[in-house]
Amino acid sequence: MDSALIPRGVKRCPTWQFALWIGAAGAVLLWGVFAMLLCWFKGLNQTNMNDSYGFALWIWADLAVIALGGGAFFTGFLRYIVGKDELKNIINYAVLIGFICYSSALLILAIDIGQPLRGWFIFWHANVHSMLTEVAFCLTCYFGVLTIEYVPLILENRQIDKVPFFHRLGHNMHEIMAVFAATGAFLSFFHQGSLGGVSGVLFGRPFGYREGIFIWPWTFFLYTWSAAACGPCFTIMITKITEKVTGKRLVKQNVIELLAKISGWMIGTYIIAKIIDTWYWAKVTAPAAGFNLMDFYSNNPFYGIWILVLEIVICGVVPAIILTSEKGRKNPAALMTAIILAVLGACVNRWVMVLQVMAVPVLTFENWVMYYPSWQEVATTILPVAYGVILISLSYRYLPIFPQEQELNPEV
Amino acid sequence: MKEEQSKEKVKKFGMVIDLDKCTGCGACMVACMAENNVPFKEDESKKLDSITWLRIYKLTNGKSFPDADICYLPRPCQHCGGKGDHGHSPCVSVCPATATDYNKETGIVSQIYTRCFGCRYCMAACPYHARYFNWWDPVWPDGMEKYLSPNVSVRMRGVVEKCSFCFHRYQLAMDKAYYEGRREIEETEYQTACTQSCPANAIAFGDLNNSGHAVYELKKDKNAFRLLERLQTNPKVYYLSSREWVRRAGDNYLKDEKK
Amino acid sequence: MKIDRRCFLSLGIGGAAGLALSPIPWKLADDSAIWTQMWPWTPVPADGEATYVKSACTLCPGGCGISVRKIDNRAVKIEGMEGHPVNDGGICLLGLSGLQLLYGPNRVKTPLKRAGERGEGKWVKITWEEAISEVAKKLGDIKEKGESNSVACISGSDKGTVPALFKRFLSVFGSPNFMRMPSIQDSYEIANNISLGFIAQTGFDLEHAGFILSFGSGLIEGWGSPVRMIRANSSWRKAGIKVVQVEPRLSNSAAKADKWIPVNPGTEYALALGLAHVIIRKSLYRNDFVHAGASGFIRFRDLVLSNYSPDSVEKITGIKKETIEALAVDFARSERPVAICGRGQGKSQGSLGEVMAVQALNVLVGNINKEGGVFAVNDPAYIAWPAYQSDAVGAAGIKKERIDGAGSGKYGFAKSLTNRFAGAVNSGSPVSLLFVLESNPVYSLPDTKDVKDAFKKIPFIVSFSSFMDETALNSDIILPNHVYLERYEDVPATAGLSKPVVSLARPVVSPQFNTKHAGDVILLIAKEVGSPVADAFPWKDYQTCLEGTAGDKWKILNKEGFSSDPAFTAQVVNISPGRFDLSGGVADLSILFTPVNSEEDSKAYPLFLLPYDSFRIANGYIGTPPFVIKTVEDTVLKGKDILVEINPATARANGLSAGSYATLKTPKGSARVKVHLFEGIMPGLVAMPRGLGHTAYDNYLAGKGINVNELIGTVEDPASGLDAAWGIRANLIKA
Repeated sequence: MDSALIPRGVKRCPTWQFALWIGAAGAVLLWGVFAMLLCWFKGLNQTNMNDSYGFALWIWADLAVIALGGGAFFTGFLRYIVGKDELKNIINYAVLIGFICYSSALLILAIDIGQPLRGWFIFWHANVHSMLTEVAFCLTCYFGVLTIEYVPLILENRQIDKVPFFHRLGHNMHEIMAVFAATGAFLSFFHQGSLGGVSGVLFGRPFGYREGIFIWPWTFFLYTWSAAACGPCFTIMITKITEKVTGKRLVKQNVIELLAKISGWMIGTYIIAKIIDTWYWAKVTAPAAGFNLMDFYSNNPFYGIWILVLEIVICGVVPAIILTSEKGRKNPAALMTAIILAVLGACVNRWVMVLQVMAVPVLTFENWVMYYPSWQEVATTILPVAYGVILISLSYRYLPIFPQEQELNPEV
Repeated sequence: MKEEQSKEKVKKFGMVIDLDKCTGCGACMVACMAENNVPFKEDESKKLDSITWLRIYKLTNGKSFPDADICYLPRPCQHCGGKGDHGHSPCVSVCPATATDYNKETGIVSQIYTRCFGCRYCMAACPYHARYFNWWDPVWPDGMEKYLSPNVSVRMRGVVEKCSFCFHRYQLAMDKAYYEGRREIEETEYQTACTQSCPANAIAFGDLNNSGHAVYELKKDKNAFRLLERLQTNPKVYYLSSREWVRRAGDNYLKDEKK
Repeated sequence: MKIDRRCFLSLGIGGAAGLALSPIPWKLADDSAIWTQMWPWTPVPADGEATYVKSACTLCPGGCGISVRKIDNRAVKIEGMEGHPVNDGGICLLGLSGLQLLYGPNRVKTPLKRAGERGEGKWVKITWEEAISEVAKKLGDIKEKGESNSVACISGSDKGTVPALFKRFLSVFGSPNFMRMPSIQDSYEIANNISLGFIAQTGFDLEHAGFILSFGSGLIEGWGSPVRMIRANSSWRKAGIKVVQVEPRLSNSAAKADKWIPVNPGTEYALALGLAHVIIRKSLYRNDFVHAGASGFIRFRDLVLSNYSPDSVEKITGIKKETIEALAVDFARSERPVAICGRGQGKSQGSLGEVMAVQALNVLVGNINKEGGVFAVNDPAYIAWPAYQSDAVGAAGIKKERIDGAGSGKYGFAKSLTNRFAGAVNSGSPVSLLFVLESNPVYSLPDTKDVKDAFKKIPFIVSFSSFMDETALNSDIILPNHVYLERYEDVPATAGLSKPVVSLARPVVSPQFNTKHAGDVILLIAKEVGSPVADAFPWKDYQTCLEGTAGDKWKILNKEGFSSDPAFTAQVVNISPGRFDLSGGVADLSILFTPVNSEEDSKAYPLFLLPYDSFRIANGYIGTPPFVIKTVEDTVLKGKDILVEINPATARANGLSAGSYATLKTPKGSARVKVHLFEGIMPGLVAMPRGLGHTAYDNYLAGKGINVNELIGTVEDPASGLDAAWGIRANLIKA
């Protein structure tokens, strides 16, 4: 039925099967949309957030998807600026995943703010001192860049490509993609960093606060670094999942391994920096505010020292070792384990830097405050996942996302 | 010399709360609610979504019967000046839309409700939990909106609010002074609602820079302390307590650390 | 022209681009933002001319002056009146919330007549004429039957012209049954009557006292005139005056005191006697003041010296004898020491022995009738109305014994014993008609079930309440009074003051609903009832009555808002040394000092339930307004659950932990409660706040927590008829 839209030379599942798949994802999406509308029309009382948890699941989701979406800028940077040419075979997918991540982040932000219709005040009444202002500007600009990077892919659809104007437009856009990749990398450096700064500048919150250089706390650099390190892992992870779901090989192993290797070294260096940062914070920054390290990890039902070990050792040191060793990369199980741990590591890092910051009591006469999200928060956080599944499915079906697919899956 | 003179002009309104006098009666909390059109809901026992610009904390000394002791501590917005009193309070510097501002003339941290779009970053930044979000539309029972004061705007759902040191009272006092041809106001002309109501006279309010105001000397008391001074938030609310454990509860200390 | 896909796409994209470049989206964004800044459902208070009206607060017996800020004809804020002798600008949280009562949803908006069963909440609106003639008709029927003394009135207070009008009405009509809600005032009155020979209140010049010894009085939690007490406390802090609090629980007053002495509950009297023992043994008492030769003193001395040595007092009270010795010396050697009693806010009476023992301390140190001391204060003297003529039925009725027994027989010293009211009605004393004025007995009297049963036996109940409270809900007809901010009324502040003040409440705003001043209503009823009752009320209306009563003081009252002229407000009785009879003419002194613990089975009820008063929960006639309930901590009220305070040791012994649910059982009833662990309470006790558990009122108050009165009962003091209960045996079982 829709065969005219499907790229030449590749095989896709029957339309009914595809419709069923999209229908299932669509149902989840609708659930999320319903929750979103509840939040918009009834207000944020629909959430389990409170005055101690002004930032909660959504901000974590924002930070996490932006970190993981960092695969787009870093792969682009490697492909276009550093000149790792093999990465052209995965860059399309990296861009698509980045596009999904960033659009999701913007959507979640639009739900998260108490006055969505005034959201644009962040630009109109911008406060240059605020990390969020920087985030908003860079994020929006970079989302524009991602859109520009994604558009040529759409234009490659068999039917659209037939239109000479779109054909030429797509071609010309491809030509200048390096410029956008560079812009994207530049913008990403700042907004990833600013997101790191969001908790790092909170000098009233000793758990999140970090010293730094000029106006930038160390978390500024750590976030950029970790996004560059873990983002590609997310790209790989999604690629592997896509291969599993479609039952096809889509990207050659050497491409994956190259990206994994670079990631490995990035994670390795990141985690060394993170360990130094943590050590300095535990020994100097926090004690200056009257806190011992263990004050942050005790007297509460959830946040034990395990979470620090999980983040740094299990989800940092371990994947770094696996990915930097050739043996590790060649072993599919080890590679996947490392990839998943790295992705988890970024998520855990963002979690503690948002949620644990809120949980730790600062006034001596206050207590730890625990939080769990309401179903509306969960649904609106799953919404982007469903949306991502749908967009990936559509793109995969109708656009030539994987240049190597035809070669890897010859028609018999 | 010139600098000194200009500094003289800059006002820095602040509070000194005598915890020895404070009885925890709650009058300040209600005076604040009544003055500032603070809304209320059917259930206000969930303290994490209950708007109380001024909240009274009950401190305990952690000892067992019969050595237990309690002390009440009223906590308005601390109107932090930040490092060096340059106005970089934890919240002001993070607000992306300049909806909260440090008034250089008075040292008061303001909140512009119509500009705030509810990102709550300021709440994440404030270690005192002095900021409150309007999770709900403010609703008054039929007829009760009659008591709302026109001097303070009612906040809509989805924005952050907090203690303003009754800034509208400052404006009214200044308007009156200008009208009468004066450039300055007397100490008594501008007092916050909580200060005015306190049956114990435990709250003193005034210009911390003005040697003629009561707070000027009170803040130098040997029993004076501020909350979380180590964080360098530089609050403008001072507390007095003759009890050592209360003073120590004002900040975090490492084990065995001497104050 | 054929529209092909290409054309369609171009049009679409071109159109979108064009729209984006046009002002439309920007205008829409701006307009929608502006819309959020003035949502029609978010109120915008109208501006107008700001004025202030001086008035007086009637929400408690404190008698504070208030200054109400108005914008045009709306009252927007209540503040304390600067310069008022009671509160000088200070104000409490309840007073601040008055406008929520005035404009609140719980007002009775028009006269109502019951349509369904009692308490069902079904009413029909009636006119004032109908309401008044209905009540007058009932009264006429009663009179006809010669049962005028079966008419009763329960009032929140017996001070001021409005209660006086009601009392006068009853008297002319032929009933002695004017009662006021029980309080420590009853006990002090009886104690004065016994030791001085006349009924007077006790006033304390606490501002100038040199040492305060409080036997469980919530000095800063609503005892006496609350704002005045907090101000006094601040002056003590400033001057370094020592305050010692004797109480089983670390109340705010105890925490604020210089020393907190935990005492076994109900044994405060023994401590006072133990202190007297030390003072007498060490001859620290003022011989010139205590009329040493009087037999009363000798009998008192013999009793305390033989029975209340520090050793035996330690056994009773749990307080170390060294502490007792030291405290006695400290007290007696201080300048102007004052001993005070009346648990919490003084809303329960306590045993006579306790009041006598505490008063004895003041007498022993001779701190009577002088600066910084204790005074006997007569009722305000300005209400002097012409004598009236009753008819035969009336004259006979007034001579009959009161329902609560006060003033006759073994209750001869008492003026009002409302604590005995429910019991008396239930055991057969007939009440055919009850007026309820500015009080909520169905809620506030102990042993709710007993009270409700009594109310069921009363055929006709007339409520004058401004609010739909529990008593109004259980009445047959409601004649809603104006709220204090809508009416003129004299407000005598007498609670514990040595220099009483009379303030003037006056209409800050015009009546918001179809209500009527209770003073006017009683005048109208009197007129309708006819002669001779009508003749006793010669005034055109309440306003005329008030102005006439105030006489030449009206001008100053109206101008200043208060008068503290002693000639007008009250008479301090001059007590000559030796006038106090420490044994009070009581034949058997030991009857005074018999412990009155409820003696139910200690196995079934191993703990004691101790009601406590919180400043942040109104527990009298006025229900806690929304602002005030908002200040209640979540360790007291969480959602609809009430939390009881217990010591962690008690919790361990009963298998309970912080926040767990438990069933609190007493011989009077049981309730589901949550547990709050507090190191400041003596093991073995369960403390529960008064003032929660309303079934009437609005959603901001109704259904929250438990009314402690449902769990406690009354224990009659054999010496006086007062309710001596300070708590009740209880058990706490994990739910």
